[in-house]
Amino acid sequence: MSTPVIEVEGLNLTYGDFPAVKDLSFEVRPGELYALLGTNGAGKTSTLETIEGHRDPTSGRVRVFGHSPRDRAAVRPRMGIMLQESGFSPDLTVRESVGLIGQLTRRTDDVGRVLDVAGLTGKAGTRVSQLSGGEKRRLDFATAVYGTPELLILDEPTTGLDIQSRDALWQSVDRLRENGSTIVLTTHYLEEAQQRADRIGLMHQGVLHREGTVGELTRTLPSVIRFALPAGAPIPPLRVDHLDGAATVETFDLQKDLYLLLGWAQDNGVELRDLSAGPTRLDDVFRAINA
Amino acid sequence: MLAIARSELIQIFRNRLVLVTSLIMPVVVSAFFIYRRDAFATLGSLGYIAAIIMVTVGAFGLYTSAVTTLASRRQNLFLKRLRSTAAGDGSILAGLLLPVTVLALVQITAILTVFGVVGGEPGNLAVLAVAVLATMAMMVGLALATAGVTTSPEHAQVTTLPVSLGVIAVASWVGISGTENLTLLKRLLPGGAATELVVDTWNGAGPSLVLLAPTLAWVVVAVSLAARLFRWEPRR
Repeated sequence: MSTPVIEVEGLNLTYGDFPAVKDLSFEVRPGELYALLGTNGAGKTSTLETIEGHRDPTSGRVRVFGHSPRDRAAVRPRMGIMLQESGFSPDLTVRESVGLIGQLTRRTDDVGRVLDVAGLTGKAGTRVSQLSGGEKRRLDFATAVYGTPELLILDEPTTGLDIQSRDALWQSVDRLRENGSTIVLTTHYLEEAQQRADRIGLMHQGVLHREGTVGELTRTLPSVIRFALPAGAPIPPLRVDHLDGAATVETFDLQKDLYLLLGWAQDNGVELRDLSAGPTRLDDVFRAINA
Repeated sequence: MLAIARSELIQIFRNRLVLVTSLIMPVVVSAFFIYRRDAFATLGSLGYIAAIIMVTVGAFGLYTSAVTTLASRRQNLFLKRLRSTAAGDGSILAGLLLPVTVLALVQITAILTVFGVVGGEPGNLAVLAVAVLATMAMMVGLALATAGVTTSPEHAQVTTLPVSLGVIAVASWVGISGTENLTLLKRLLPGGAATELVVDTWNGAGPSLVLLAPTLAWVVVAVSLAARLFRWEPRR
């Protein structure tokens, strides 16, 4: 197996007496999209900032491409970082900002191309102070993907973006992945992680609560069939829970139970209104953390 | 470093507030002193005027601008952004402070040249240059230390006052009253020995380079303070 791009071993981060991250270990392999998810205050950002070299571990070891994340000259030319908060100078234009930060990464690229990728070509001459929140986010993305880095860290990349910008951003990420880039993502939009992550690390109260593929995480929870029964309908042949007027069936054998339910409805002439059926969503895995 | 310096220069000229405090203000003060040079020479000496020009540009053009720049770049997370690249801490700070430092040196050179033309040449140019460089190094060091206790560019208007007004007061005290009395105290205060050196050099008295020692000691003190106080990210 190839060497991991990121190795985190026994990481502890303490603020005063408060342990933000407790004995965290995980690794990110070349070419994968690893989503680090968690509830608010779970320790994601602290972990990410350690990987980015902005924070020293209280104890434990973090390696990026086999180097200390503090070794900027060795690590940074190979990694692009999209910070959670922008941090650009209001008096510089978009083009100047991308040019400056891009040059400082020591990668080479064409500023015009990067602006195009981030959808900022029309804003090239605009000062950062005049940008909307979403445009600043895209500027952040532009500096991170400058020079097509091997490793891209995306800390809540789509917060504040409209749906078109969000799709465009993910298209650019997909193109980077085709080139073999490794992606580390945090996001509050769980469907993004569900659709794209190869593996997910689920943090809760400073520890890695669960880790695995989306399938591995969701498989432990039952699939759900939801529908509404008209008044006076006969009793279905399955164990049904009634929540807020909707009937729900939880099952570990979705195909069989759905077949059973549909057959029963057909035979009895029952209309199952608002029918939906599907595997457990990541949201439910999240809700189950606190349950 | 040069890429950061270039972008800083652009920002200085786009931000009128910084431009006014760092360029216009010291020029106006210096112009006043040169215009009324006879009165100030009677009060102190021509060398006193040269010293006041140096510390005024140092205090406002360099020190206050540097603190404001560092506080503002930290507050809007630009420092954190720069540290997310391959640039090292030293080259980031050097890049950020290079433009204000160079502008201050150009300003001092230009104003003292004008003063030399209208008021008479200084006694020893080389010693004058060394005294100016040492003083500017001290102001940069003090700026780094002050930036550590400054939370925002607005806050810098308060935090820079003790040092900027202090060195001007010391320069005035030393420049007008000389160093016959309270010699040690006057020389040890920041800017005191540098003022004495500039006054002596300009007036043609044989200057003593030993007077550089207190200024250089202040550089060391300021830098070690800065190493303890300086922060790259805003407090949360």
